[in-house]
Amino acid sequence: MNEQLTAAGIPAEEITTESKSTFSRWLDGIRTAIWEKWVDFRHEWKKITASALVSPLLYMVALGWGLGSMVNTGGRPYIDFLVPGIIALATMNTAFSSVSVSLNVQRLFERSFDQIIISPVPMASYIFGQMIGGALRGMYAGVLIFLISLLFGTSIHVNVLFFVVMFLNGLVFASLGVLASVIASSHLDISRFSTFVITPMTFLCNTMFPVDRMPAAVAVIINCLPLTHTSRMLRAIAYTESINVLSIIYLIVLAAVFIALTNVIISRKSNL
Amino acid sequence: MIQIKDVTKKYPKARKYALENVSLDINTGEAFGILGPNGAGKTTLMSIITTLVLPTAGSVTVDGEKLSRQRIDIKKKISFVTQHISIRKDMTVAEVMELSGRLYGLPGKMIKKRSMQLLEFTGIADKAKSTARGLSGGQQRKLMIARALLSDPEILVLDEPTVGLDPHARRKIWDMLIGLKLKGLTLLLTTHYIEEAESVCDRVAFISGGRVSDIDTPANMISDMGSFAIDVFEGERTKSYFFKSAEEAEGFIKTSGKPVKVRDSTLEDVFLKKMGTELG
Repeated sequence: MNEQLTAAGIPAEEITTESKSTFSRWLDGIRTAIWEKWVDFRHEWKKITASALVSPLLYMVALGWGLGSMVNTGGRPYIDFLVPGIIALATMNTAFSSVSVSLNVQRLFERSFDQIIISPVPMASYIFGQMIGGALRGMYAGVLIFLISLLFGTSIHVNVLFFVVMFLNGLVFASLGVLASVIASSHLDISRFSTFVITPMTFLCNTMFPVDRMPAAVAVIINCLPLTHTSRMLRAIAYTESINVLSIIYLIVLAAVFIALTNVIISRKSNL
Repeated sequence: MIQIKDVTKKYPKARKYALENVSLDINTGEAFGILGPNGAGKTTLMSIITTLVLPTAGSVTVDGEKLSRQRIDIKKKISFVTQHISIRKDMTVAEVMELSGRLYGLPGKMIKKRSMQLLEFTGIADKAKSTARGLSGGQQRKLMIARALLSDPEILVLDEPTVGLDPHARRKIWDMLIGLKLKGLTLLLTTHYIEEAESVCDRVAFISGGRVSDIDTPANMISDMGSFAIDVFEGERTKSYFFKSAEEAEGFIKTSGKPVKVRDSTLEDVFLKKMGTELG
């Protein structure tokens, strides 16, 4: 093939054409997607940072300073209750939107996703890479909120597990973002998905107020939502209490289900 | 060899078939052109060959292996230059190339070196650090061609590769395609520039309404229709007549009694005749 390129006027170059193992191909797919997300971040880190902070900061100011004194959180300062919930919220929103909006634009507007479909990269590995990239972006937002919360006088405890939970939460919502982006038939669909799925979780999932006194039927639904588990775990760590391991397993299972669903849809959808 | 067997495609909610029982064999190293009017099914066929669109029925095999989205061993042999601009416009030109190199699993150093070579070849090396959004339409198309060659494909599928390019750039692309063909790359392309298809393609197929009507070499198609063309000026319109021998053509000129122009028939004449359209 080098001869072909030389004949066409392109200087010859040694091309590696050996067959790669499936594992190597998978690594290529994951690394490529993460690299793509890194390039996105490098180009727009100022906008990404600002947009990740606006809503959580508003919640902290309005609820933490405003309504906080009126909320009973078992004798602890409300800001210590609120911050883990806001961090869960920030990781969810950032991870979801960083993947869903970006992929949706690539698929339906720029149509650059075509190159991903026709390339020899295993689709599931690319999706997994997108999930990791989205989760890391979610973590970035969560860490920023944590740092800023220190200015609000919070005194929550943070350890490695706190970051692991943030990452897992990002993974779940980034995978949901990939799923939403391949189902959506227009950009408005992503917005609608956000309205019907993400926004209710923002308010219901133990983020800004305790849900212990919710009606039983509502509590069952709330307990099925991933953000409930995340905010509960983050808060437990922040209070130096033990977490429920089943919640971690639940998040992993959800992420796996979303990635599997996405992969099935992409491989079967006749016109992406 | 690429074998397209009984491929049918019907898009959801569409009333008509985009493709109907299309069968084609494309030999290794062959330059094969698919010609047809707008909406004939050319892009759908190209998209099916590259797994971008899945067929409703039928199959595509490459070297005897059935193509699917999961067959990465087959997909790595194929590169596709889509008709629409399909690049991340927020990325720089160098990043667009790097993304493609990574998707095809090329080592980092090789991606950088080959990218610069291909960008120089396509004349956009000075734009390497510009965002793709800042390129003109023609430059974006050149970038897509450079990107398609980066992975060193065995099969290059091009859907209207020179749309939007100026004549100089178009000529350069077609020269490059001839060079690639001469050294054995399998080319499968659609184009509206039929005279260019005639010079590059070993064989062409005409497609209309989702059905393939003719498959042959350009020379045979022209010969079957008649190599001698006579354009007769009839008031405001020109009508073309085709003859297989010089004697037949001369006889026609003597009896027509109207201003005429004698020339060689072209593939475009065949195309217009087959598609039911005449000059003027």
